[in-house]
Amino acid sequence: MTAPALPVTTEPRKQPMNRWRGWLLDRAPFLVACLMLSVIVAIYGALQKGVFTLDEINLDTAAAMTLILAATGQTIVLIRGGIDLSIGGMISLGTVIAATQFTGDPLNVAMWSALILALGFAVGAVNGLLITALKLQPFLVTLASWSILNGVAMLILPTDGGSVPGWWIGFSYNLILGLASPVWMLIGLIVFWYWFRATRLGITIQATGSNEKSAFLSGVSITRINIITYGLSGLFAAAAALYLTTQTGAGSPTIGKDYILPSVAAAVIGGVSLFGGRGHLLGTVIGALILTLIGNLVFVLRVSSYWQPVMSGVILLVAVLASSLAEKTARGQEQ
Amino acid sequence: MDLIEVSGLTKRYGGIVALSEAQFSARAGEVHALIGENGAGKSTFIQVLLGAVHRDSGKVALEGQPYLPINPNAAQALGVAAVFQELSLIPDLTVEQNIWFRHEPRNLIGMVDRREMRRKTLELFAKYHFPSLDPSRELRRLTLAERQIAEIAKGLAKAPRILILDEATSALPAKEAEWLLALTRQLAAEGRLVIFISHRMGEIRAIADRLTIFRNGKTVAVHEAGAVSDDEIVTQMIGRHLDRLYPERIATATSRAALRVRNFGSGSRLSGIDFDLREGEVLGVGGLQGHGQRELFQALFGASRSTGTLELWGKPTTIRNPRQALTGRDGIALVPEDRRGQGLLLAKSVRENLTLSVIRRFSSNGLLDNKREAALVREMVDFLRIKAGTPEQLAGTLSGGNQQKVIFGKMLLTQARVLLLYDPTRGVDVGTKGEIFQLMRDLAAKGYAILFYSSDLPELVHVADRVLVLQNGRVAALLEGDRISEEGILRAAVLETEAA
Repeated sequence: MTAPALPVTTEPRKQPMNRWRGWLLDRAPFLVACLMLSVIVAIYGALQKGVFTLDEINLDTAAAMTLILAATGQTIVLIRGGIDLSIGGMISLGTVIAATQFTGDPLNVAMWSALILALGFAVGAVNGLLITALKLQPFLVTLASWSILNGVAMLILPTDGGSVPGWWIGFSYNLILGLASPVWMLIGLIVFWYWFRATRLGITIQATGSNEKSAFLSGVSITRINIITYGLSGLFAAAAALYLTTQTGAGSPTIGKDYILPSVAAAVIGGVSLFGGRGHLLGTVIGALILTLIGNLVFVLRVSSYWQPVMSGVILLVAVLASSLAEKTARGQEQ
Repeated sequence: MDLIEVSGLTKRYGGIVALSEAQFSARAGEVHALIGENGAGKSTFIQVLLGAVHRDSGKVALEGQPYLPINPNAAQALGVAAVFQELSLIPDLTVEQNIWFRHEPRNLIGMVDRREMRRKTLELFAKYHFPSLDPSRELRRLTLAERQIAEIAKGLAKAPRILILDEATSALPAKEAEWLLALTRQLAAEGRLVIFISHRMGEIRAIADRLTIFRNGKTVAVHEAGAVSDDEIVTQMIGRHLDRLYPERIATATSRAALRVRNFGSGSRLSGIDFDLREGEVLGVGGLQGHGQRELFQALFGASRSTGTLELWGKPTTIRNPRQALTGRDGIALVPEDRRGQGLLLAKSVRENLTLSVIRRFSSNGLLDNKREAALVREMVDFLRIKAGTPEQLAGTLSGGNQQKVIFGKMLLTQARVLLLYDPTRGVDVGTKGEIFQLMRDLAAKGYAILFYSSDLPELVHVADRVLVLQNGRVAALLEGDRISEEGILRAAVLETEAA
């Protein structure tokens, strides 16, 4: 016996217009972020010569790259529905290990870089394990591990200092086809993202952030997902630390805290939901560029540098407002 | 040999025994109904089969082999899948991503092969004659019925040997429910075992080969479906004889309008609504699902914006938000559709849930009067016969029927006298259904005015004094007296409006 075909549904058909609007609304936060970036770039370009050149792109990307790397890890954790404050500690620790251990020998640098990255993943994995096994709030667990990592960094190098090889510092000045290595890193990161979000792991992380109970009932191991998610965040924090040493040339046991909240802000400005399940790295990159370029803007406007956090705050508010409005409108349409 | 054999299954949650020496066995190729009141242990039983909950003691054998899934993943691997009543879907994934979640076809570099996934989805839809559903839509954009259909597809995608349907029809409109019943027979004919859980006796009659009845965590009877009467089943389910499901309909309506609604509308889905809800009346709201019923209830409660005029007990009012609706004596209260999401705080106690929206009544100078609160809570728990160990028990641990009673209690404590009941018996067992109908009639007799929507037509026919039928967001008919029948409601719901 087979089921009879069912010709109609009883739902009144929705107009195709709604789908188009729905598509736009879904991306409203991202589009608003793009708009804000364009405005900032336009003002910057009007006041400063040579903004629309390859050189400027190379410089700005190099300046934003630490934040972009840190925010990439944060984006993955946010999509999982968590938050990772420990990246601040990991970034500090990474820079002091590099600045105290790197010699001029490329082999030595490669080995210690690999160790720092592995340490980053391991620390994150422990975060993930603690969050799941002890059923603790991600906020508190990562706050604690931030403090611990910070302390360890202080023990290794109490004040800013140490050094890295000269060729290491020159990393972001290497040009390939006119583009500096940070730009190539960024391209690689975006390619990675398009791959990652379409893998089973990427989808599972998103699903777990969207509805943990449903994901569990579908057979997802929450422990495994948390270990991987926070592990990746730690890994990207370690990468941010390594990159940071190419910019500063030294280690700093306190520098990491400057990236904790901006990494969350960059993601949220780019449309990543703090409640999990939604977000895209492209948005986070736009967010990180906005936060970085505000610094340039303050410079060319010749106003006090204290305007920078004020502007960041206003932009964050606009972004949050945009996503909240889009959410409400979308929901109103569904009901 | 039976495909699955369960004996002596026991599971406790703290002091509460969910399953006590339960027995169950079923063959491949049969539709086996599992019935019992809410709280009888069916949900726990399913959770154990799915590996989501671990039993305290007892044996489960699958094809004669011990069956001990440590998690839902292990159960799936052994061919046991479920279609849940509380949907197990992911809101931010699309329909097809949900269907194939964790089983996605992949290409060489580990990315999901979207073309293949679409092909498999359409193949699955065609094989089982699915109602039309766009595979690329995100789940959170779907209606409850569409989500239920997606959930069914997800269960089928695993081609399970045992498929558990947990009240899968309760969220479906009539046509889709019929489709699901035919589908169930098709699955059995393919040699699968379908464990079918439903509170609708008609459905069980239509498709079950055998049925097992649970009560208080124990197996009380196993029947061949043809060899037992409805009356016997209900008696065994509730452990006593239920005189009748529907209370006697005594007309208690006065001529006074509690709520006068004129040219009322909301958004694009509801417009030009006129009706009077009288004091002491149960006014039913019918029509096909998705024709404005939900919008009407939400708008009257102030949960969404509305246009038009309202008179509450003779006074013109505008209701902009639920707080306004609930304000003062004689206000408007709503029992929402999604009781877990909208009505109850599952992690709070019965007491806290009951008094949440009326907390000001027990406080003076900012301090809570605990005694007064406790007295009112006890009164309400007794009045509604809420089965909870203590008022401090968490709402989330109650059975569905008892959760619904807590929501009723919460609503009654607000002192509202216009009650909007949106599908109050959805997923509620027969015994509790009867109690809810009786309660509605009792409240009407006390002068409450009740607007009542149900997705189950016979409920409207037997409980409502009059029935307002909606079609495309407008009033298609207002049925009274003899004109209230299943056929009458359906006719008004689907035919062109007579007086256009």
